[in-house]
Amino acid sequence: MAKQQPIELFMPPNILKAKMGGGIGGLDMAAVKRAEQAIETLKTEFTDWIAADVTKLSACRDAYAATPGKETCGDLYRASHDLRGQALTFEFPLVARVAAILCKLLDSEKVNPPLALIDAHVNAIRVIVKQNIKDKADKTAAVLIKELDVRVDEVLAKPA
Amino acid sequence: MSGYRFDRLKVLVVDDNQHMRKLVVTILQAFGTIQIFEAESAELAWSLLHDVNPDVIVLDWMLTGMTGLEFTNMVRTNAGCPNPFVPIIMLTGYTQIDHVRQARDAGVTEFLAKPVSVKGILTRLTAVIEHPRPFVRTKVYYGPCRRRRDKEEYRGPERRTAPQDNAQHSMAAAG
Repeated sequence: MAKQQPIELFMPPNILKAKMGGGIGGLDMAAVKRAEQAIETLKTEFTDWIAADVTKLSACRDAYAATPGKETCGDLYRASHDLRGQALTFEFPLVARVAAILCKLLDSEKVNPPLALIDAHVNAIRVIVKQNIKDKADKTAAVLIKELDVRVDEVLAKPA
Repeated sequence: MSGYRFDRLKVLVVDDNQHMRKLVVTILQAFGTIQIFEAESAELAWSLLHDVNPDVIVLDWMLTGMTGLEFTNMVRTNAGCPNPFVPIIMLTGYTQIDHVRQARDAGVTEFLAKPVSVKGILTRLTAVIEHPRPFVRTKVYYGPCRRRRDKEEYRGPERRTAPQDNAQHSMAAAG
C-alpha cells in the first residue's frame, strides 16, 4: 500500500504587491512603449554584440579542435546555446536557427561530434553575420540550413 | 496603466552573457526600476543575495559553473538563504516542455523563453506581483506550487489529502 506523502501547502505573504502598489490590471502600455524605444536605441549595438558572440563561438571551436573532449565540447555548446537564444533578439534569425541545429548536435550523447560538421555550422554563422543576412526567408541560407539539419540528423541516427 | 511603483523594485539579473544582461537591465530601467544588480555567475549571485536581498531574480539557465537550476534549488532549500520565497524568473534559450518541467521542479516561479521581449518580461513581472504562487513542502520538493491550472479544471477527488486509494496519484502530482 502506498503511503500518503506529507505535504505542506502555504501562501507566503505578498510583500511585493504591497511594496509595488496596487496594479489595476493589464499591462502598463506606457512602460512597454518606453522599453521598446530603449531597445530601438540599443539596436545600434546589436551588430557588435553578435560579432562578439561569433568570435567567442569561433574561439570555442578552435579549443575543441585542439583538444576534443567533454569540457571543450561543453564550452562550444554554451557558446552556440547563447547564440540560439540571443541571435533572434539581435535580428539574426538565421543565426539562431543554425545555432539551434549545432546545439542539437552537441547536446547529443555522441562522443566527440565530427569537427567538419561543427565547422560547417560555425562557418555558416560567420557568413550570415558577415553578409548581414537578416531576412529569414533568404533562399540560399534556407537550403544550407536544411542541409545542415539533415547532416546532423544523419550523425545522430548512427549508432554510437 | 498598471500603476506599479517599479522604482521600488529591487531586481537581481544573473546571466554570464554581458549583452543579455544589458538588454534586460535596459528594459527594467525603462519600466522605472532603479535598483538593479548584476551577477555573471550563480556564485556571485548567491553572495549578492545576502547583500541586497532582491525582490525578484531574473536568472539564466546556462551559466558557467553552477547552473541556474542548481542556484534555484539552493535558494529554495539552503538554510542560509535570506529569502527562499524570492520569485525567480528563468530566462533561457531552452524551449522544450521537458526543460520547462525541469525548471518548475527546481523551484522556478516563472519561465521565459528567449528571445527576450519587453512584453514577456513585463508579463512575468506582473505575474509574480499579482499572482504569487503558494509554496509547497514535501519530502522531495520545496518551492512554488507546480500546479498552474485553475482548480475548476480538475473535478476529481482532492489528490493531496485523499485517503490511501488516491495516494499514488497524490505522489505523482505532489507540489
